Amino acid sequence: MDITFKQVSYTYQPNTPFAHEALKNITFHIPSGAFVAIIGHTGSGKSTLIQHLNGLLTPTTGEVSVGNHLLSSEKKLKEMKKLRSKVGVVFQYPEHQLFEETVEKDIAFGPENFGVPAETIKKRIKEILPKVGLSDDFLERSPFELSGGQMRRVAIAGVLASKPNVYVLDEPTAGLDPKGQKEIMDMFYQLHKEEQVTTILVTHSMEDALKYSDYLIILNKGEKYMEGRPEEILTQEEALQKVHLQVPESFQFLKQYNETFNATIPLTNQTPKEIAAHIKQTL
Amino acid sequence: MGNSMIIGQFVPGNSLIHRLDPRTKIIIIFFYVIVVFFANNVMSYSLLTIFVVISIISTFIPLRFIVKGLTPVWFLIIFTFLLHLFLTKEGPVVFELLSVKFHLGGIIQGLVISLRFCLLILMTSLLTLTTTPIEITDAIESLLHPLNKVKFPVHELALMMSISLRFIPTLMQETDKISKAQASRGVDFRTGPVKERIKAIIPLLVPLFVSAFKRAEELAMAMEARGYQGGEGRTKLRELSYRKRDIIIFIIFVLVVIGLFIVRN
Repeated sequence: MDITFKQVSYTYQPNTPFAHEALKNITFHIPSGAFVAIIGHTGSGKSTLIQHLNGLLTPTTGEVSVGNHLLSSEKKLKEMKKLRSKVGVVFQYPEHQLFEETVEKDIAFGPENFGVPAETIKKRIKEILPKVGLSDDFLERSPFELSGGQMRRVAIAGVLASKPNVYVLDEPTAGLDPKGQKEIMDMFYQLHKEEQVTTILVTHSMEDALKYSDYLIILNKGEKYMEGRPEEILTQEEALQKVHLQVPESFQFLKQYNETFNATIPLTNQTPKEIAAHIKQTL
Repeated sequence: MGNSMIIGQFVPGNSLIHRLDPRTKIIIIFFYVIVVFFANNVMSYSLLTIFVVISIISTFIPLRFIVKGLTPVWFLIIFTFLLHLFLTKEGPVVFELLSVKFHLGGIIQGLVISLRFCLLILMTSLLTLTTTPIEITDAIESLLHPLNKVKFPVHELALMMSISLRFIPTLMQETDKISKAQASRGVDFRTGPVKERIKAIIPLLVPLFVSAFKRAEELAMAMEARGYQGGEGRTKLRELSYRKRDIIIFIIFVLVVIGLFIVRN
């Protein structure tokens, strides 16, 4: 689904001494099927922005359109549920949303609310579990007796079970060990390709953004600071440093290498093996 | 969440009222609440109203914000007014509508009670608007200090109060976060039949309780680890002390009270 922000601003607690403008005049377009990373320092408005994607917040001014759903300050959306079934949001620390007695019931909770028939839900759960790295014997256990990482996987399965067309991932790997981080991100990337969904990843990690996304939007203090393809953005080191963002070392290395040896190794989407092959060629 | 609710919400500022010793504010409000019930004529009520209005103006908190914050209470005020209007059958009949007689006594009684309500709420919310919760607990601890003599656990009470106050915003944030997460999973908190909406609270309450218990445990652990020991011999970071401005305000208040007893009949 295409996603468009048109001059969107959002103010928390307007007309009070606590009024705070979290988003200022944001405009961008995300084509269907893209993997977009939204990057920014703490308090840059990332979390506020993604809450507009499934109507948890409606813009104070401006317009947000997701597929054929339009959200604006004047119009209350009637098919909110339909929008939310299409946009799956994995919040920060999603394990906090678990509440059911068994893992199975918790995963089924979302699709049930969206009116998916019980048989289909059962089938989907069977499909999803191995993808998030859990086995069938988890289904009858209580989510509260699992480890943090396992709870996270259950919560993610609960979002995926609704089969959304858009994944919105708010730092889905925060607080996991490095192995878990890689597994979860690889899984999302795999699903992104397989299901041909649009993915919006909110992250602090430039490495993740470089590795998975094909478009970057950088926010600073509620404003859009930069946007573009990773290779366009990451070459502007100084501008990034101004908003306290570091260019990944792997990217810096490739750029330096290309300059020193007059080589033309592509700067993004390279596995170490491919890079090694390129280097062998130039030598 | 809670956008229009100001009771218990502190607005930072640097006005005279903000800088008063919190004990001064609590004592004055305590006596004000009692004194309101002694007012019994136009003069005495206007004296008390003027006192509140001047206090509010001198805080420099936007009036619009105060009025907006009272919206949840308007219902109660209007309800009591109507109750008196219909049920008090005193004095001459002023007018008759659809064979219901409205008495002058009822109208006056309704107005007086509503005014009293407004004064009480405005005055008490003035305390929470201009004083941080921590200052309030400090003040309460200090005011209740004499009770230590009869083995009343004043310090523990104050600690419990400040901990619960401290965690109100945290719990509010948590509630907001979890309700958003569940709304994203298709829970509808706002529309639908009442039965469904009550059921929708379960996915909100369970995670909230889980995290509240976890937080309590962590806090207890952290306090234990830092060797916390309350009460006897514990010093304070901010010592409360009465200043000149507190004394002046006390004198003004006493004058108002004396004035009130002179003008009431």
